[in-house]
Amino acid sequence: MTHERTNQHFLELIHRHQSIIHKICFVYCKSRPDQEDLQQEIILQLWKSFPSFQGNAAFSTWMYRVALNTAINQTKRNGLLIDSSSSPEIPYDPSNFYDLSEEIQILYRAISQLRKVEKAIILLWLEEKSYEEIAESMGISVKNVSVKLVRIRTRLAEIIQKLQ
Amino acid sequence: MKVIDLDSIKAAWKIERSFEDPILSEADIQHFLSGKSKDISQLFRKGLIFDIVLKSVVGASLIGVFFLLRANQPLMLISAILMLILWTIRYQWHMISRIPKATASDPVIRTSLENKVKFYHQHFRKSLYVGALSNSLFILSGMLYYFYFKYGEIRPFTWDDYLVFGVIIIIGFALGAYVQIAQHNFQVKQLESCLKEIDEESMSALTLREQRNKKRRLILIFLLALVCGLLLLAFFIFR
Repeated sequence: MTHERTNQHFLELIHRHQSIIHKICFVYCKSRPDQEDLQQEIILQLWKSFPSFQGNAAFSTWMYRVALNTAINQTKRNGLLIDSSSSPEIPYDPSNFYDLSEEIQILYRAISQLRKVEKAIILLWLEEKSYEEIAESMGISVKNVSVKLVRIRTRLAEIIQKLQ
Repeated sequence: MKVIDLDSIKAAWKIERSFEDPILSEADIQHFLSGKSKDISQLFRKGLIFDIVLKSVVGASLIGVFFLLRANQPLMLISAILMLILWTIRYQWHMISRIPKATASDPVIRTSLENKVKFYHQHFRKSLYVGALSNSLFILSGMLYYFYFKYGEIRPFTWDDYLVFGVIIIIGFALGAYVQIAQHNFQVKQLESCLKEIDEESMSALTLREQRNKKRRLILIFLLALVCGLLLLAFFIFR
């Protein structure tokens, strides 16, 4: 496949499956610049990893993995050397971008209080991935996934209860 | 107190259609592709490239001093410093070539985090010290120029000159190393905390497994004791 055709094919695939990017940004971003940075980083990492996509798994599964990996590996800059005043934190309200139901808006507020890995696991759970799939993506045992999920779900329920 | 039904929230998530709207056009995606990555491996790379450029500038300025002082003194010293600069540039260049392979995103999140953290601790930290040498070399080169333009030569040093300039060079090195390590540590610590978060329950799971094994061992010992006791009882009864 020529470079142009690969590029076009990639664009089409990302355009078709962009809901994955939106869901991950929904879970991981707390500000507009965060959202733009993460969208860009995910797309760049997907492009970089695209040659390694063998087609053994569904494209959406592969895309989920790469995108989640990118979100977890995304690090904040150190305020010591970077002028934080140059990029003021604009509060991110997902309802500005998505027409969300009230339940999902509460879910967003609750998830934003979880830690990075917890967010990834709960997102995969919401997406109805099996314990085996979650374990494979995270690099942990199935038993560990079940232990983590019990704890995260309990915590999420507690947060939602406080928010309601 | 109202009980939260997470399964109903999960069902609401499943039927939520807003994420399906194509917010990003193909042009937006193409625009993102033309941008630059802010991944930590890019941060490593940028730091190394900056250091190579800085060292090259210092090296070029030292070559200038070399020619200016040709007939005069410490040419051996300048040659040695130039060799050191060449070695450090080669070292940093080699480090750049290792970045893509060592920090490549693995499909498994844990492995990907481990690769990055391992690369930082095992290899990249050393290059930060090599990078901090640029400050010392920069100061040294500046000093040589200062002496040349002020006195037209490099006068022989006395012990107190060595002390003062030595301290300035060491402070330059220490400050450079501190700032660079602090900057990178801040980001690597975020990756380490994710790795720790992944491993947290591994420990709990391990403890649970250990407890289960302990329980099994106790049941086995109890059963063995019971069987032994029954055999002994049978022995005493039927002997």
